[in-house]
Amino acid sequence: MANGWSIIIGLVVIVAMSTAAWFFSPKGENQVLWRSSLILTFVSCYLMWAITFLAQLHPLIEPRRSDLRKEFIHH
Amino acid sequence: MAPTRDTPFRSADMSMVQLYISNEIGREVVNALGELGLVQFRDLNGDISAFQRAFTQDIRRLDNVERQLRFFHAQMEKAGIPLRKLDLDVGTLDAPTTTLIDELADRSQSLEQRVASLNESYETLKKREVELTEWRWVLREAGGFFDRAHGNVEEIRASTDNDDAPLLQDVEHNNSAPEVERSFSGMNIGFVAGVIARDRVAAFERILWRTLRGNLYMNQAEIPEPLVDPSTNEPVQKNVFVIFAHGKEILAKIRKISESMSAEVYNVDENSDLRRDQVHEVNARLNDVQNVLRNTQQTLEAELTQISRSLAAWMVLVGKEKAVYNTLNLFSFDRARRTLIAEGWCPSNDLPLIRSTLQDVNNRAGLSVPSIINVIQTNKKPPTYLKTNKFTEGFQTIVNAYGTASYQEVNPAIPVIVTFPFLFAVMFGDLGHAIIMLSAAIAMIYWEKPLKKVTFELFAMVYYGRYIALVMALFSVYTGLIYNDIFSKSMTLFDSQWQWVVPDKWHPGQSVSGNLTSSNYRYPFGVDWRWHGTENDLLFSNSYKMKMSIILGWAHMTYSLCFSYINARHFKRPIDIWGNFIPGMIFFQAIFGYLVMCIIYKWTVDWVGLGIAPPGLLNMLIYMFLQPGKLDMRLYAGQETVQVILLLLAFAQVPILLFLKPFYLRWEHNRARAKGYRGIGERSRVSALDGDDEDGDGQNGRHSIGSDDEGVAMITQNIDEDEEHEEFDFSEVMIHQVIHTIEFCLNCVSHTASYLRLWALSLAHQQLSAVLWSMTMAPALSSKGIGGGLYLVAAFYMFFCLSCIILIIMEGVSAMLHSLRLAWVESFSKFAEFGGWPFAPFSFSSMIEESEELKDYLG
Repeated sequence: MANGWSIIIGLVVIVAMSTAAWFFSPKGENQVLWRSSLILTFVSCYLMWAITFLAQLHPLIEPRRSDLRKEFIHH
Repeated sequence: MAPTRDTPFRSADMSMVQLYISNEIGREVVNALGELGLVQFRDLNGDISAFQRAFTQDIRRLDNVERQLRFFHAQMEKAGIPLRKLDLDVGTLDAPTTTLIDELADRSQSLEQRVASLNESYETLKKREVELTEWRWVLREAGGFFDRAHGNVEEIRASTDNDDAPLLQDVEHNNSAPEVERSFSGMNIGFVAGVIARDRVAAFERILWRTLRGNLYMNQAEIPEPLVDPSTNEPVQKNVFVIFAHGKEILAKIRKISESMSAEVYNVDENSDLRRDQVHEVNARLNDVQNVLRNTQQTLEAELTQISRSLAAWMVLVGKEKAVYNTLNLFSFDRARRTLIAEGWCPSNDLPLIRSTLQDVNNRAGLSVPSIINVIQTNKKPPTYLKTNKFTEGFQTIVNAYGTASYQEVNPAIPVIVTFPFLFAVMFGDLGHAIIMLSAAIAMIYWEKPLKKVTFELFAMVYYGRYIALVMALFSVYTGLIYNDIFSKSMTLFDSQWQWVVPDKWHPGQSVSGNLTSSNYRYPFGVDWRWHGTENDLLFSNSYKMKMSIILGWAHMTYSLCFSYINARHFKRPIDIWGNFIPGMIFFQAIFGYLVMCIIYKWTVDWVGLGIAPPGLLNMLIYMFLQPGKLDMRLYAGQETVQVILLLLAFAQVPILLFLKPFYLRWEHNRARAKGYRGIGERSRVSALDGDDEDGDGQNGRHSIGSDDEGVAMITQNIDEDEEHEEFDFSEVMIHQVIHTIEFCLNCVSHTASYLRLWALSLAHQQLSAVLWSMTMAPALSSKGIGGGLYLVAAFYMFFCLSCIILIIMEGVSAMLHSLRLAWVESFSKFAEFGGWPFAPFSFSSMIEESEELKDYLG
């Protein structure tokens, strides 16, 4: 379900959201403020999510620990 | 002027306006404009000293009233009468009429006299009271001396009249008490009684002893209660003294010495009956004085209480009135036509509002002469006026702390509203801390009105930034979820992409490692919780956060750089696009854009599946410069060629950056000169055209289009002739461009590196919260029994308090400062000029807000 395509899907989603933000920002002298802030927010949040997702997409190292208790080893 | 709507995107359009106001309504007009707060007046009387200006007299009178009001306030504080503070949010003050101000002046004048005379009589009475009290003490204590002294008369005599002592001794022995009293004067022994401050007693005794060579007998007693010195109002400890001595001259000497030591000498009768009468009299007088004193005090307090009700309002009124006259002093006054002429800046879009305000004032005054407002053309640099609202105010303040944006350039605060809190959140990411911060911010916004009154400075600062805190906290919630950190613990929101591979003969303590559960499933949101607490957790998170810092920094800087394109287009300077923006952008993208592309590409390749060792990107970037055309490890096919091309592309931009703009400007300048254009201020223009207009146009640098002759006459009175007629100087332009180029190229490297602070601070924050948990909560949770429970409670308090103080407040402040730097330096240096000066309109509300003096009077 969550694989490499998620990046593209996410991109499509935030482009759609940004377009919506552009057109549905309240009119008035603060319209530019709404547009800029909303779109920047979407882009920043998407960037951070995408970076985190990509970093785990093809992991080069795997987690390793030796302090696990018996009860949790199979979780 | 195109009537575009003013937005926060760039400074509002500003116009220089000239106002012609009839002298009679000058005060009313300025009052109305002050309430409006949209015009910044220019000083047209710069060459006239403050004392020679037209309305100095009025200001002086108001100063006097203000002094009187402050005097009342001081008196009230002394008497402990509370001031009724003025709440400007509840009721506004109407513009005062001149008669009201006159009345106020008269009233405060008479009140001042009244208060002063009451004070004076109070002080005299108080002095009298102290004297009487001292006298009473002297009488009481001296009585004691006398009674004791009479028992010792013979000894005194023995010592004074040594010669015939034996004879008289007998006589004295048989004497009865009343005769003893008489014998005092018979012995020619006199005395001086009085009161002296206790700390002077020793000196007093010594001086007396030395000057009189020991010919005295001094008695003293401490007055148990401290007496109040009426002149300084401080309690002083005093002693009563009685000095017996022989002979008039010596007594006179003692009196003199007492006076010089500022002791009070009181008249005390030797006879005990008389003394009793004296005590009675003193007591009666003391009573009288105290009664009068009480009455005076009450009258004074009643008077002050009455003043206290309206003092704050008066203070504000006078403050406003003074501001009005100070503004009027900036106007130039045409005596012949009895007209005031003012010049100032105002937002172009608010001109109709100003016009209608002037019309209103005119109508109210019933004046037939209209007030005129004219827009005048000028080449002076207009002030930058960035409109703010409750939400953007804080962000705009952050930007203005760095500098004032140039007129009409992109307001740097626009991207800051998101980027500043977001970069903060990248460093602060912890869901738990973010939620605490979010609740604090929401509380401050919910109780906005009551909290506004808090005057504690540190809180007022946080309160001022409450919307910044809100956005920061919201982003921190998001980054906390991404980092999967809540008080350094993780949340298992989704299924992990890892599972532990447990060996057959596993025993506790044996190391296990993870395995991907499926090739097609990845943790959908944030960092997988399996990483939490692992041995190689830092290895993963460091690589991830470092790369994220670079990518976010690259995005931030590219975005900022784009604003320089918007600026160049707005100012219609295509050379800034071709000579600065495009080569700069290519240079930056060829190096760091490429690096970011490589980072992303490397993530998308399944190196383990392919069985190839992944190349190190840092080495790749270094080798790209050090040995172009050669590779350390291959990332993709054709990498060498791409890198060489990019490198050449980047270096090719340097000469473009260096030379294109200066040479284009020189070419443009030479072309203009060839066509015969000259700068306005250049001497070569002094021709037959107009000799005297030269001053008006040349020095002021203003074409007086649209203003008639008298307007020009007025304009010539300007003093600030600091207009810059930039002579084209090629070497200067060249040097400027060289500096810009070097700075830009070096900054591309250093600024990208500077974004690594995002990684460093988020790492520090996460590690610190992990340490705090392991030192407080972890041992408490593992302890058992009732003791363990109590320990848990104590540990939780400690954990919570330290979380708030260190992790939220201290770490928050540090993350905020780092984010601030990223905004100020890394981002703003890419596009903003900061060459503007702020628009500071004449406004009562901002005047009252900023006034230190009025702060005490406003609630």
